[in-house]
Amino acid sequence: MAPPSAKGCYLARVWILLGAGLVLGLVLPMLFYVTAEAEKSNQETEKYCLSCHSDLDLSTTLPSGETLSLFLDPQKLEHSVHSQAGIECVACHTEIKTYPHPELEYNSKRELSRTYYQSCWKCHSANYEKTLDSMHAQVAEEGNLDAPVCTDCHGAHFVRPPDEPRTLISDTCGRCHTKIFDEYQESIHGGALFQEDNPDVPVCTDCHGVHNIHDPRSAQFRIESPDLCARCHADNQLMGKYGLSAEVYDLYELSWHGVDVTVYKAMWSTIWHESAVCTDCHGVHNIRTSDDPKSLVNPDNLLKTCQECHPGAGPNWTNAWTGHNKISLERTPFLFYVDAFYISFTRFVLWLSIGYVALQAFRSIVNRLRRNQS
Amino acid sequence: MSLEMNQDTRLESNGVRLERTYQRFMLGQRWEHALLILSVTVLLLTGLPQKYRAAMWSQQILATPERLDLIRQIHHIAAIVLIIEVVYHLFHNLYLLFGRRLPEDIFPTWQDVRDAWQMFKYLLFLTKEKPAAGKYNFEQKFTYWFIFLILGMMGLTGLIIWFPLVVTNFLPGGIVPAAKLTHSTEAIVTAIFIIIWHFYHVHIERLNLSIFTGRLSEQEMRKYHAAEYAHLTVEVRDTTEEESGRDAS
Repeated sequence: MAPPSAKGCYLARVWILLGAGLVLGLVLPMLFYVTAEAEKSNQETEKYCLSCHSDLDLSTTLPSGETLSLFLDPQKLEHSVHSQAGIECVACHTEIKTYPHPELEYNSKRELSRTYYQSCWKCHSANYEKTLDSMHAQVAEEGNLDAPVCTDCHGAHFVRPPDEPRTLISDTCGRCHTKIFDEYQESIHGGALFQEDNPDVPVCTDCHGVHNIHDPRSAQFRIESPDLCARCHADNQLMGKYGLSAEVYDLYELSWHGVDVTVYKAMWSTIWHESAVCTDCHGVHNIRTSDDPKSLVNPDNLLKTCQECHPGAGPNWTNAWTGHNKISLERTPFLFYVDAFYISFTRFVLWLSIGYVALQAFRSIVNRLRRNQS
Repeated sequence: MSLEMNQDTRLESNGVRLERTYQRFMLGQRWEHALLILSVTVLLLTGLPQKYRAAMWSQQILATPERLDLIRQIHHIAAIVLIIEVVYHLFHNLYLLFGRRLPEDIFPTWQDVRDAWQMFKYLLFLTKEKPAAGKYNFEQKFTYWFIFLILGMMGLTGLIIWFPLVVTNFLPGGIVPAAKLTHSTEAIVTAIFIIIWHFYHVHIERLNLSIFTGRLSEQEMRKYHAAEYAHLTVEVRDTTEEESGRDAS
């Protein structure tokens, strides 16, 4: 039994050794090789590309006559979120596989960026598709190719988190929307953002949305705009921090304007309506506190603001407006007494009618019963 | 006040019982009341959806912005009709009063206070006698003057919120929200009052259609307007009986 067993032992050892050798010699190196490739690739291809593209003077001329700089600042590129995540140049520049590169087939810089930005979709499909629904995409479809694409706001090579610092968001929009940006910067919201780095005030995207920015001039946007303001201005905790009333929205809804807006919002949100929404009186991007002399709702400017919609309004007109305030003895004594009177008057008439009629009905029923008995 | 002398109720001929009736309202007054019902109903029906615009049921009625405008226009037209009616009523009756062609029955007197007190005692089973009412009992006078004052306020406040720009040219602005509050609240108060108080008295307590027919039967006159009945029939009653009654008391 011993020799065959010894023979079997020997064969088994050979097989184990061969197997282990195979594993060690082929599979493990493969594993290491793959990791090494992954680690090396971004460093290596980026470095490889930069060996030419870090040249400040590297450029080409497009058929449009524009000079396209082909220089990339290696230090800036290093800080890009993509570079740090190990995403290589060819992830976006898919057509470039060799040197010399294939000919550029773009006529202009704009054509180039409007084509290249489409590679964002490969990884960021959700946000990319949102932009297709946006005001910017709509404008581009109508022929304005200057309408921004992903790279116009986020950058192409030097992509950083878009909200660090928070001011960057509004700065980015302000690059094109310069006039509105200037207004916003001087407003209570913009001022607090840029001067105090206040985290509570809205930046552009808080009201307008991020990727699917819609036309703010539409009837739908207008009718829903008070809800935008209410997101912060109906928040007790947030308003309490700044000593502001969080009741403004609820009281607005009860007002002449607000009731109209409520009906339109519920029934006819796509039909244009004239009743005042928050921004009609307070301004849009230029909103200021009411004690600011430049504020549209400052007592000195209020009549002029009312006259925008009520052209014939005289100086007494503004007192007809109770503001976003509850009826109070201090602020509106006349209205307070009228209200107090009607609260008791309504109850008095109601209970007088009910009481008197109930007594009469009771007495007449008793009379009838007595008559039937006798 | 004309007293129509039909045949005596106790006389029966050919199996037909003829009843003596008394004129209560003139034709013009009946038409005025019809106009009042019509305009107030239209005002209420077109006003309520406006007051409760935030409510779902109202929004279903309004349906389109055009219909909201239409409802407002109907409200304004009905308001004009009612204002004209109230102004006509006021001047026409003042004219008749000054010409001594309309008795002053509608004006409140101390007797009404005494009647109300007696009615109060009657309703609490403290007395068995109801007060003997004149042409208009104290309830009817109260109804008339209450509605009269309410309509005045509704018209006034309605005009203020209809033409706020004009009004604030010579009145303080605070009058506008106060008018809105008044108009909106009094409408509900009036509806409550008419439905509970007035409808009970003219429909449930007894069906009193004299504002449409213009007449009351002798039985109704005796039962509900005893003092008026006595006053009207004093001439045809047996004077000796009347005087002997007085002597006895």
